[in-house]
Amino acid sequence: MNLMENVKMALASIWSNKMRSFLTMLGIIIGISSVIAVVSLGQGGQHTITGEFEKIGANTVLITVESSKAELSDYITLEDVKQLKEKVPYIRYATPVFQVQGQANSRLKSKRAYIIGGTSDLYQVDNIELAYGRFYNDAEYEEGKPVAIISNSAAKSLFKMEDVVGMTLDIGSDFAKKSFTVIGVVKNQIEMFSDMTNEDNLPAIIYMPATTLKQLFGMYGATTQVYIVADSKENIESAGNLAVKLLENRHGNRGREIYKAEPLMKQLDQINNVLGIFTTFVAAVAAISLLVGGVGVMNIMLVSVTERTREIGIRKAIGARTGHILFQFLTESVIISCIGGILGLIFGIAGAYGLGSIAGISPYISPGTVIIAILFSSAVGIFFGIYPARKAARLDPIEALRYE
Amino acid sequence: MIRIENVTKVYRNGEIQLTALKGVSLHVKPGEFVAVMGPSGCGKSTLMNLLGCLDSITSGKYILNGKDVSTLSGNELAYIRNREIGFVFQSFNLLPRMTILENVELPMVYAGVPARERRARALEALARVDLSERIKHRPSEISGGQRQRVAIARAIVNKPSVILADEPTGNLDTKVTVEIMRIIQQLNDEGVTVLMVTHEPDVANYAKRIVRMKDGCIIDDYPVQNRTVL
Repeated sequence: MNLMENVKMALASIWSNKMRSFLTMLGIIIGISSVIAVVSLGQGGQHTITGEFEKIGANTVLITVESSKAELSDYITLEDVKQLKEKVPYIRYATPVFQVQGQANSRLKSKRAYIIGGTSDLYQVDNIELAYGRFYNDAEYEEGKPVAIISNSAAKSLFKMEDVVGMTLDIGSDFAKKSFTVIGVVKNQIEMFSDMTNEDNLPAIIYMPATTLKQLFGMYGATTQVYIVADSKENIESAGNLAVKLLENRHGNRGREIYKAEPLMKQLDQINNVLGIFTTFVAAVAAISLLVGGVGVMNIMLVSVTERTREIGIRKAIGARTGHILFQFLTESVIISCIGGILGLIFGIAGAYGLGSIAGISPYISPGTVIIAILFSSAVGIFFGIYPARKAARLDPIEALRYE
Repeated sequence: MIRIENVTKVYRNGEIQLTALKGVSLHVKPGEFVAVMGPSGCGKSTLMNLLGCLDSITSGKYILNGKDVSTLSGNELAYIRNREIGFVFQSFNLLPRMTILENVELPMVYAGVPARERRARALEALARVDLSERIKHRPSEISGGQRQRVAIARAIVNKPSVILADEPTGNLDTKVTVEIMRIIQQLNDEGVTVLMVTHEPDVANYAKRIVRMKDGCIIDDYPVQNRTVL
């Protein structure tokens, strides 16, 4: 009595009750496929976010001002940023990020604008990809030149064309506007949205030198957010600490803990943590359906044992031992759960890709997930199959033979 | 061969006690062909179940082939049923989902015989009961007489020393009964010991010895005169 014999026998029995076997498997299929779909979408999401972060820069550190404690004099000025880049050894790039809502008018159209100002390093820090033209340079930053880089969708919406390098554009608030020259067009970064909504409804995204922005809006010219990029992974920590020290020296506010340096990768860890907990939670909910599926397997196996009482009696009469019968029924429940698990895996992966394409997440199917799914469904088969199998194995041969 | 001494069997069902065998002793020598007769409820089926190691005795002793089987465990009894005993039932008791060949192979599956040898021995056993066709069919697709022949093939495939037949012709007509009894007599002639329960005197007349039972006791035990030989 070997394993192959058992598997053959179990398959024959499953096959002779096709519909019932399939319905029994359905519980497992639904359980496994929902767990697989959730986990692979969750992991896909983590991979996407990680990828985005790495594009922005694994070495980026965000320096923030604790605004609840800070006074205006503690805010980071453009001169601070310049000093950071010149004086702190490990810093390769440094830029503040000013974000202002405003307006942009072309001869054709007026549009809401989302204006971002920084140093010329913003180009590297934000990993901006240009479709046309160039980013502003150091000289243009220093002199506060009226130059702008606009988003692709803004170009299409404002000028009805894509390559708008050299065109002029009025940018500003309702009260003060200034004429700008477009020197670059950014490749669309948020394609997901532009597919879904009309580009006319999207605000124009405009990059310009922080110096220009300061003049345009008559701002004080200090910020609470500065991005620095360390020259290597090893120096991320030191770059951040030195930057904080330099700022404290310049503002004379040491000990008040105004400035905080936080590597973006740390934020990534936090996001991944939250996403991981969320995925685990949803997967656990889905796993409950797997338990329900397991109870279904047990139920059908119990029915099967009762139905086949006479068969068990015959087998015992001709020499089947307790172990033979136990193993026979256990094999059956494990095979049902395993086939259910494999089908669930297939449906789960298909579902993950289906849902992923709607939600814009590409699922990540790790070998670990696959192995755990198969092992887990086998475990369900064993766990919920053991009771019916024991019941079958312990039947009294005479009673079983008499059973009609 | 088979020796039981002062065997009793008591069934308990809650408060009610039912004594099915009241101190039965029987000695069957190798090569014998014994018919056990008696009215229903006389204990002959209980006796067959005990002799077939399907049930345990309440008191007394059962020696099979020199071995005391009254003290064996469930799995040890299963081993004896597999190797030493062949069962033939009134209702054939073939497994409906398996083919005839697979049914005959089944005792060898539990004996751990390799697949190729199993096939060969099953075919051989089927040939001995004159059934070499339709072996890939299921039991429901052949006649009652053919089914009983399959059951006999299954009973002899592990070369047991004893065949226990419980009303083997009870569900069959006269013509088929003769066919089945011819096969059983042939097996007996080849040296297999046969114990057969029947309530038909005609069928009992194929045996060499008749044991009569009543109320859980053996009341008569005599050799068959004018035996029907096929």
